[in-house]
Amino acid sequence: MAEELIRLKDLVKIYDTGAIKVLGLKRINLTINRGEFVAIMGKSGSGKSTLMNILGCLDRPSMGHYYLDGIDVASMTPNELSEIRNKKIGFVFQSFNLISRTSALKNVELPMTYARVGKKARRERALKLLDRVGLLVRAEHMPNELSGGQRQRVAIARALANEPPLILADEPTGNLDTAASEEIMELFSDLHREGATVVVVTHEENIADFTDRIIRFQDGVVISDRRKGETT
Amino acid sequence: MLFENMSMAFSAIKVNKMRSFLTMLGIIIGIGSVISIVSIGDTMRSLFADLYKDVGVTQAYISIGYWVDEVRQSDYFTLDEMERVKEIFGDQIAYIDSGMSTSADAVNKKTTVAFDFEGIDYNYIDVQPVNMIYGRYLNEGDVLGRKKNVVMSAESAMLLFGVEDAVGMTFRTSLYGNVDEFTVVGVYKKEISPFQALMMGTSTDRGSAYVPYTLLTWPNDYFYYLHLYASEDVNLTEFLNQLKAYVANSKGRNPEDYRLVTAMEEMTSVDSVMSGLSAAVGGIAAISLLVGGIGIMNIMLVSVTERTREIGIRKSLGAKTRDILIQFLTESAILSACGGIIGILIGVGLVSGIGMAFGIGVVIRPAVVVLAVSFSAAVGVFFGLYPASKAAKADPIDALRYE
Repeated sequence: MAEELIRLKDLVKIYDTGAIKVLGLKRINLTINRGEFVAIMGKSGSGKSTLMNILGCLDRPSMGHYYLDGIDVASMTPNELSEIRNKKIGFVFQSFNLISRTSALKNVELPMTYARVGKKARRERALKLLDRVGLLVRAEHMPNELSGGQRQRVAIARALANEPPLILADEPTGNLDTAASEEIMELFSDLHREGATVVVVTHEENIADFTDRIIRFQDGVVISDRRKGETT
Repeated sequence: MLFENMSMAFSAIKVNKMRSFLTMLGIIIGIGSVISIVSIGDTMRSLFADLYKDVGVTQAYISIGYWVDEVRQSDYFTLDEMERVKEIFGDQIAYIDSGMSTSADAVNKKTTVAFDFEGIDYNYIDVQPVNMIYGRYLNEGDVLGRKKNVVMSAESAMLLFGVEDAVGMTFRTSLYGNVDEFTVVGVYKKEISPFQALMMGTSTDRGSAYVPYTLLTWPNDYFYYLHLYASEDVNLTEFLNQLKAYVANSKGRNPEDYRLVTAMEEMTSVDSVMSGLSAAVGGIAAISLLVGGIGIMNIMLVSVTERTREIGIRKSLGAKTRDILIQFLTESAILSACGGIIGILIGVGLVSGIGMAFGIGVVIRPAVVVLAVSFSAAVGVFFGLYPASKAAKADPIDALRYE
């Protein structure tokens, strides 16, 4: 029995838009084990972005529990969530979200800066990570001097900085061409093989095909949860 | 972490060079004007202090108060009374005379020069040193014998006689109605600074000369003032009050009926007027600092809005509220402190330039400079607080979604 990394229990998210309350997620129960490579799929408005924000500890559920690495993060304060994001989650975004006018190296160092890692250790690890994603020679380049695929690889290196147990990618190939998309997904596959837990949110089937497990969302509920090799 | 924040702040400031400079300009002007105004004030005060030192800080005048309604003949002073004061107070008095002076035209053949005559005792040179270049100073004989001898400045001799060495030359003038002939017995030279010349109104077309004070008390020998210099080592206030009390008592008056004017008092009042003035003008200049601070707040608010997405990214990577707060506070403090430092350089440069142009040593107190830098950094922190807390409170999801 694999060790569980994420467990959602009766998780509900309500959006209060003032006039009406919108039910974003309706009693989600979900478990993701350590070392899994999972795709979360759904059309826009299906609730997958809401789930992504909650899984990423950027947002808190309205009701229910979210255990990440055994910790119930549902009732944490914003600063406590910052700490959880820093230590437990590595984000990869659709629009890369590198800090502009800041070198690739400094971008990769940033999560370690917030973790108060010493300057020298920070730099060493950042260089190692850039080497890992094949961008060591671009360490001093600014984000606007890099191609989309390169930027996303820097973002992945940054996501790995504090060795988080969870890599959370939100449409990581949304702004990339096919070749770069495959490169990035291969990189995620490699990380998965090395033991990382990777959760990719996407709406593209061919991207989801890289993963081992596909969870489909519609109208705030899970409509299917299928592992590779299983048949529905 | 501090170092990271500083380098982040510097790179953010560098990104918008023009905007950062314009923002700083408010602080630059504010600090620059405060520094120059305070330093000009301090310089003036030190110049006045020097001036009074030259005039003699132990100098004092005693006279019947202008507020006394019925002034009697006996309220005035006589030469005998002056002698008695000298005997009683002895060494405490360095110098004493009747404090009288007069102006009159001096005529030498066809040359007429307006002269200021100061009535002095023979030992006036002890308290107001001058450099005798020709002849001699007035002596006791001149004073006691009421001789019509004068000692004049080299410039005056030049005006009246066309030569500096005017010893033995005579001229005609009327000190009190009668026209008499006066003889020059000595010529002196006195070095004065351009500032002193300015303040004392020494004009180049008027002559000045010393005459025996006994000439000016003539003919009735009653005079209005006791003019004196106390010795350096006496307690000035105590001594002058004793003297005033003695004078009043000897004339059957209350001490309050006599007026005491001291150079020290005047100096103090000039000094307090000047420091008050420079504080007031400095205060007005400080308002521009406030305006500069608001400029910083404004630009920081713009910057926070522009960088909403960056704030979102940082938060998603684990930045806490405090990290973002400190980042933006550091930026506004650096912006402001840089403005402050440039302002100091400009202010100090300006004041030194003025000082050099007028040939006076300027006074720039280090405390003022230190205060100005700390104040400008404090302005940055204070006015950066609101934008920074706005940034720190941003919701990461909204910030990340911001375009």
